[in-house]
Amino acid sequence: MIILKNVSKRLGDFSLKNINISIDNNEYFVILGPTGTGKTVILEIIAGMYKPDIGEVWINERNVSAEYPESRRIGFVYQDYMLFPHLNVRENINFALKLKKTPRNIMKDKLEQMASLLDIERILDRYPSTLSGGEQQRVAIARALVTDPEVLLLDEPLSALDPRSKELFQQELKSIHQEIKTTTIHITHDFNEALVLADRMGIMHNGEIVQIGTPKEVFQKPQSQFVAEFVGMENIYDGEIIAERGEQYVRIASQYLRVVSSLGGKVRVAIRPEDIIITRGKFCSSAQNTLTASIIEIIPRGSFYKVVLDAGITMTAVVTGQALEELNLEPGQSVWAVFKTTAVHVFK
Amino acid sequence: MKLSHRFALRSKLPQAKKFLLLNNRFFQGLIVFIILLLFIFVFSALFNIVWKGIAELAQSIASQEIQFAIRLSLFTSITSTLICIFFALPVAYGLERFNIPGKKLISVILDIPISLPPLVCGVALLLLFGTTEFGTLLAKHGIKFIFSVNGIILAQFFIITPYMIRVLKSTIADINPRLEFVARTLGCSQWQAFCKITLPLAKNGIIAGLVISWARAIGEFGCALMVAGATRMVTETLPVALYLNMAIGDLEMAMASATCLIIISLISLFIFEMVGVRHIPASRIN
Repeated sequence: MIILKNVSKRLGDFSLKNINISIDNNEYFVILGPTGTGKTVILEIIAGMYKPDIGEVWINERNVSAEYPESRRIGFVYQDYMLFPHLNVRENINFALKLKKTPRNIMKDKLEQMASLLDIERILDRYPSTLSGGEQQRVAIARALVTDPEVLLLDEPLSALDPRSKELFQQELKSIHQEIKTTTIHITHDFNEALVLADRMGIMHNGEIVQIGTPKEVFQKPQSQFVAEFVGMENIYDGEIIAERGEQYVRIASQYLRVVSSLGGKVRVAIRPEDIIITRGKFCSSAQNTLTASIIEIIPRGSFYKVVLDAGITMTAVVTGQALEELNLEPGQSVWAVFKTTAVHVFK
Repeated sequence: MKLSHRFALRSKLPQAKKFLLLNNRFFQGLIVFIILLLFIFVFSALFNIVWKGIAELAQSIASQEIQFAIRLSLFTSITSTLICIFFALPVAYGLERFNIPGKKLISVILDIPISLPPLVCGVALLLLFGTTEFGTLLAKHGIKFIFSVNGIILAQFFIITPYMIRVLKSTIADINPRLEFVARTLGCSQWQAFCKITLPLAKNGIIAGLVISWARAIGEFGCALMVAGATRMVTETLPVALYLNMAIGDLEMAMASATCLIIISLISLFIFEMVGVRHIPASRIN
């Protein structure tokens, strides 16, 4: 179990503010946030490169805040891998084992195990400068895992790979984690990466963790405008919760939407574009919001289309190419925009 | 494109462009000319000495005086270079990697001997070791610097250390500190990470530092002259031999000393190029 208690750190212009995270054993925890929000510094504080100004770091019931990096039992993989350039792959992986004077036969077994886990048996005698990015990545992970660390820290491990290798390696990271189950903290700015890999994730903004939850929770129930935008919610409005005849509504400009929320008063409202269905005919259901709207614009987006609607408020919906053709949608048409009560997310 | 066609094109160039072409040619020619001029100047000066010195070189080197000077120069320069690396390496590492308060100021002060005339450095050392209580205390316990071989080593050390620190600092600055940090997460203490990661990666820079510092030490004259004096067969290094023989008009001996110094410089320059070091101070753009 990794716990960060009220961790704050100032580094030049940049600061981490009151970070509280608790990560369970064997969990794959992703810290997600835009570049330059201090994600790497969190890892470096856990690993002991920096001491926090305030707060404590706990690893498996040990307060390691004052411990040196070498006694924290951590595996660290940097974005640019940081392989030792003067050592070949085998020596890089064996580095920690040699340091601990591990017996030869055990060292050999461990090396073989790591090499097969990461599929790098063929490059053991090569030097880092001759390896591709993906290969360096594998070596760096092998080097970190060979020490059986209590926690594996991955700093943007996939960001330097091309899109195809990135997708393959995501799957591989997942299966490696399923096999060895080391508690892992993975940092990224890519929401899709977090969705695929994370058991839980924390969203960072301006040096603060603004929301922690499972990918599903974060994806569906963002608790702030920043998170809502970051996870791709496009329809975000100011609104006000109103209760009338036992029903709960949120008023956005002149539109009333049905909603389920424990909040009251002034709120922010977000609706995912993919939760909005466009129909040509009206169909009624008590659980649904049904608005009349006119199509302002249709924007192609690769495999789908974005449809911008005027329903008293401007809304964006997405439809597949097939749906666009079947419904014969064109700008200027009148349509219905239908979405569930639970698709209307409300936060302060 | 056919040649004739090309010519046709060229003759059709507007007048302004033709002028520009001429102008560029002139510019390139001028640069090459200036390079040649400087090259001829430096080369002829050096070649002249070696050409004249080499005839009598064998005979002069056989003389006791030059042999003494070569031996003393090698002994003092190697000793001072070794003492220098012993100080310069930790200093360069500390100034580059640690958050020492007043780091900038310390750096600047350690750099001063580079910009001072060697004679001034010599006077400073002479006064420190000759007139202060610290100096007399050392002398009382048999550690004498003034007018002795120790003084030559001291003077060389004083002059070359800032150069060595500069070379090593830029070498260390080029090694990503995160490499050491990764080594520490793998179980290294700070000392082990330094020895196993930074030191091997700094190898070329260290060799380069040793070579240029050694070459400077062997040529050191002004500072050593002030501290150790120029006594024949006592504190007579190669530059001192050159000076003394020049003063009495023995041109053959003077040129033999000079030739030895030039050969040593050429060798060190050659080694310097061989280790492929691009981390010479102020050239970190590479």
